[in-house]
Amino acid sequence: MDQSRSSAQPAGPRETMFCHECHDEWYRDEKGIICPECQSEFTEIIEDDNDPRDNFEHGHEDDDDSDSLPSLEEALHNHPPLDHNPWRDNDDPEEADISAMRFQPIGPGRFHVQATIHRTISPTQFIPGGTGGMGAFQSFLTNLVAGAVPAQDRGRERDQSQETDGQSESRAASGGSPHVHRFTYSALHPRDDNHPGPRLEPVDDLNNVMTSLFAMMGEPPGGGRGGAGHEMPPNPLMGLLAAMSGGQHGDAVYSQEALDRIVSQLMEQTATSNAPGPAPPQDIEALPRKQVTDEMLGAEHRAECSICMDEVTVGGEVTELPCKHWFHHGCVAAWLSEHDTCPHCRKSIKKDGEAVSGNANASSSRADPTSSMPGAFDVAGDGTLIDPWVVSSSPPSGNAGSNAQGESSDNGSRLRRGWFDS
Amino acid sequence: MSAGAKKRIMKEYTECMNDPPTGMKINFNEQNMTKWEVLVDGPEQSIYAGGHFKLEINFPNEYPFKPPVVSFKTKIYHPNVSNDDKGSMCLGLLRADEWKPPNKVVAVLRLIQTLLIEPNQDDAIEPSIANEYKENRKEFEKNAKDWVKRYAK
Repeated sequence: MDQSRSSAQPAGPRETMFCHECHDEWYRDEKGIICPECQSEFTEIIEDDNDPRDNFEHGHEDDDDSDSLPSLEEALHNHPPLDHNPWRDNDDPEEADISAMRFQPIGPGRFHVQATIHRTISPTQFIPGGTGGMGAFQSFLTNLVAGAVPAQDRGRERDQSQETDGQSESRAASGGSPHVHRFTYSALHPRDDNHPGPRLEPVDDLNNVMTSLFAMMGEPPGGGRGGAGHEMPPNPLMGLLAAMSGGQHGDAVYSQEALDRIVSQLMEQTATSNAPGPAPPQDIEALPRKQVTDEMLGAEHRAECSICMDEVTVGGEVTELPCKHWFHHGCVAAWLSEHDTCPHCRKSIKKDGEAVSGNANASSSRADPTSSMPGAFDVAGDGTLIDPWVVSSSPPSGNAGSNAQGESSDNGSRLRRGWFDS
Repeated sequence: MSAGAKKRIMKEYTECMNDPPTGMKINFNEQNMTKWEVLVDGPEQSIYAGGHFKLEINFPNEYPFKPPVVSFKTKIYHPNVSNDDKGSMCLGLLRADEWKPPNKVVAVLRLIQTLLIEPNQDDAIEPSIANEYKENRKEFEKNAKDWVKRYAK
């Protein structure tokens, strides 16, 4: 399997085919475009920038879907297990072995890269200071930051320390994750700063991580980094931390203050839900109109509609609310159709008995003088004397109740008419 | 914007001209009367004395049925003004559910003047500044004066 995969790497001009049914791979010039394995026609030519195997391999893993960027942790730990690597003797360190990697820009386009690598390799393979191992790792780093730094401008320093614990390769048997991964370090072999090779897949994943880090800080990865006057943030990670200490970062907040701000913003957005809703149009129309009289104008003999600020004159028509405040009909109707409150004193224009249940202004309508009408009816004792149904022996339910309701609302509307006609 | 809103804004402005409110200057642009620029002086008896604060008042299309939006364009160290580039104000009067059409802009501006003299701790938009105002008045005054010197001269 590994062998076939290695030969399947796009090499030279030969076109490699991929079968979507059985995931087989072959050379087009050898076996054509129909899958030699399962005879499926659902096949595709593998190209560098369009590799159908990506989807399948991601699909087989328990990773996030291929759309989402892998987290740094995943990128560092989920990567190709050495046990499945046909280039086991490769001196490249595993990504999982790289710890404490630090990127420290020391100027525009210049990085100081520091990494500690914990490795378990056999002593014979380890050549201290040898260009073989470190050269490959250097090229790995080169590739890693290649997305961020223009190729010509790669004057950066590296400082890598390498720790070996002298253990032999026995680790290969332990802790290997089961998936077969196509990504290998094979391409790292011949590369170094002076001979940049083709794109590296595993690094590409890490590059994605870096890209997302840069994107989070508003730094375009790659583009413009070397441009004149374009300063790098002191340190990408420090920049990220600085953004965090600012309190707000996209959807996330990192300080009490930023949280408070969002909470108050939310409260403001939902505040209107506590406000009284619109008044019913028929109630607005039912409001009494009045001719403006001299005494309404007060001592100064002039008054204005407080909504439009237009002056009203004696003889003009205004609409009066139950609270006695008056306005131009058009002005107050526009307000009431959104909020059932008097623009001055916030009293509802609704009368009891008509109040819509569950309305937020129920309490304010109770404060309305007209709302005490049914109570007045009880106090008057009208019904008790006239109607025998209140006699305690009969159950105070059903018929009797509805009777009382009808009586009271009748009475109420009569009294309301009286209130408004006065 | 409705004709009624324009008329009312115009009337409010005329009123301001006939009876200019003290301690402030209103810049009115007939081309865009829905955006007023007001220069409010820090009240003499306040820690903001000597400072001049630029405010922007934006009238919504539904004015006066919807409240105007007031923001500080000059940075100010104040519990009721947000410490960001918006400079938005936390003012009960201006909240959608508390606004009443008879309220006038002049009243809003006068209220802001009184807020400069005495911040409203309960309506704070900047909790840390409000806290400092409550717990460490000296430090608050020092910071506020510092900001006046730095931004409001």
